[in-house]
Amino acid sequence: MMSETRQRTRDKVLTAAEAVARYVRPGAVLGMGGQNIGRCPMALTHEIIRQRIGRLTVVGCNLSIGMDQLVAAGLVRRTESGSGNLERFGVTFCWRRAIENGSLEVEDYSHLAMVSRFLAGEMGAPFMPTRSLLGSDLLPATGEAGKAVVIEDPWNPGQRVALVPALQPEVSIVHVQRADPSGNIIIEGFATHEPEMIRASHHVIISCEELVSTEEIRAHPERTTIPFLYVDAVVVQPYGAYPTSTYGHYDYDAAHVAAYQEAAREGSPAVDEYLRRYVWGCATFDEYLALAAGSERLIALRRAMEEML
Amino acid sequence: MTPASSPAGPDHSRQELMVIEAARDLRDGDIVFVGTGLPMLATTLAQRTHAPNVVMVIESGVIAPQVRPTPISVSDPKVMHRAVKLGTLREVLGCLLQRGMIDVGFLGGAQIDRFANINSTVVGRGSTQRRLPGSGGANDMASHCRRLLIITHHERRRFPERCDYVTSPGFLDGPGGRERAGLSPDFAVTVVTDLAVLENDPQTCALRIAALMPGVTVEEVLAATGFRPEVAPEVRTVAPPTPDQLRLLRDELDPERVYLKAEESATTSRR
Repeated sequence: MMSETRQRTRDKVLTAAEAVARYVRPGAVLGMGGQNIGRCPMALTHEIIRQRIGRLTVVGCNLSIGMDQLVAAGLVRRTESGSGNLERFGVTFCWRRAIENGSLEVEDYSHLAMVSRFLAGEMGAPFMPTRSLLGSDLLPATGEAGKAVVIEDPWNPGQRVALVPALQPEVSIVHVQRADPSGNIIIEGFATHEPEMIRASHHVIISCEELVSTEEIRAHPERTTIPFLYVDAVVVQPYGAYPTSTYGHYDYDAAHVAAYQEAAREGSPAVDEYLRRYVWGCATFDEYLALAAGSERLIALRRAMEEML
Repeated sequence: MTPASSPAGPDHSRQELMVIEAARDLRDGDIVFVGTGLPMLATTLAQRTHAPNVVMVIESGVIAPQVRPTPISVSDPKVMHRAVKLGTLREVLGCLLQRGMIDVGFLGGAQIDRFANINSTVVGRGSTQRRLPGSGGANDMASHCRRLLIITHHERRRFPERCDYVTSPGFLDGPGGRERAGLSPDFAVTVVTDLAVLENDPQTCALRIAALMPGVTVEEVLAATGFRPEVAPEVRTVAPPTPDQLRLLRDELDPERVYLKAEESATTSRR
C-alpha cells in the first residue's frame, strides 16, 4: 500500500526529472491529463520515458499522444479509458497495435463512466452510479464484477443502474497554465476530467506555463481551480504541452503531431527512431522544443492562439 | 462496386448534400451534443441558416461556443471561440447529458446495425480484429439523448446486421430492448448518409429507408447496406441544396476542405 503522505512544503518547485523520479514508480497507476490535441502533459510524459519507468497502468478519459508514446516506449501494461485517439490525426496507433497483438491489457469505459470513477475517487466514495453503459458491451459479462455491476435502484424498484468503481490514481500528471510554488493551480479554458482526477489522486505532478506568486493567488482566490493541498510537485515548463495546444497560450503544431502519427502508424523502427531522436536524444524538454519546433515556430503557435481568441 | 449512377446534381457532391441534409434535421433551439468533423460542420451550418438558436455542447467542457472554422478536435481552441462556459467533462457529460438536458446527440460515422446500435470499439473477430478508438462520449450520448443523429458514408461494412461490439446502445435487440436494459425508451435515431436517410421504424425499431438522395435508387441503398432495411411507406427525395447553403459550407465553414473532399463530385462516390 502506498503512502498517503503528500508533499507539505511551501516550495514544491522541482525539475521534471526530480518530480518524476520522486513520484512515479514502476507499476504505478498513472492518471493522464489533457484530451486529444489539447493540454497533454508532454514534458512530464517525456521525462517518464527518459527514466524508463515501466509496467504502468495509464488511466484517463481520452488517452492521446502522451499515452501512445509511453506505449511505444514499452512502458505500459494496461490502460483504462473512454477512448484512445487524436481525432483528425487518427487513432493512437501504438496503443492499437499493442492491443491487437495482445501485449496490452485494455479496459474500456465511456467518458462519463471514467469521470464518474474519478468523481467517486475524489469524494472518498467507493463507487458511483450511472445510467451510461447499460445494455452495451462496455458492461462486463455477468459474473465479472471488477469493472462495473448493474443493480436495481433501491429507491426505484425495477429500474436498473450501473455502478462503476472509484479510481484513485497513484500519481497524476497534468499540464496547466499557472501555478504558484506551493501548488495552487489555475486551469484556463476547458478542463476535461482533470479537476476530478487531480483530487482523486494520491500524488499529483503539475507542469505549468507560468509560475505565479502565492500573493497573486491570494489576491484572486476565485480563480484557483485546485488548491495546493492536492499537489506534490510543480514543474515550470513553458510549452510543456507541445505539440498539443494550451488554451490562451499556443495552438497545437499540426505538422509535428502528424510527424509523430506517421511514425506511430508505421511502428518499429520509425517510432523507435522518433523516441530516440526526440525523447532519449534530448536531455531536457527545452532541447526537444528547440529540435522539434525552434523558437520561430513556437512564436508562430503563440500568435495563432492570440489571433484565435 | 456501384456503377456511376445518375448525378445528384451538377453543382454539388453527395457528401455536401449529406452535411446539408443532416443540418436540416436540427430544429431551432435544439441543444445539441456534438462531436467534431461532419457533425460540427452540419451543426454550424444549421446555426448559420434555419436554426440560429441551436446551442452546441462539446464534450471537452465547451458550452454554447460560436466555433471558428474548421476545428479538428473537441479540444481544438477553435471550438472554444466565444463560448459562454469552458468547463469540464463532468459538467457536460453528467450535468447536461445524463441530467437529460440535451435534445440531440450528433455523431460521426462508425458501424451501425439494423437496430441502430453503434460500434466504435472493435471490428472483426479473431486475427482480423481491428481496434477502434472506443466510446469516448458516444455511449453516453446514445444512453441519454432523446434523439440521436448520425452522419456517415454509406458502405456495406458500416451497416452490418449486428455490430461485432455494441459500444453505444441503439434499440439493442429491438422493441423493449432499451427499457429492459434500464435505458429510456423515449429515443429516436436518424442516420444521414451520402445515399439516403434512415430512420427507426416506430414499431419494429429497425432502421428503414426514409429518404433517398437525388438520383439514388432503393436498390443502390440495399446494395450498400449489410442488412436489409425496410422502405418507409412514403420515401421522400432529399431536397437539393440552396446556393446559400453551398456557399456557406464551401467558402466559410470548410474553406480548406478539411472534411469535405474536393475530389468527390456527384458522380464519383468514395466506394
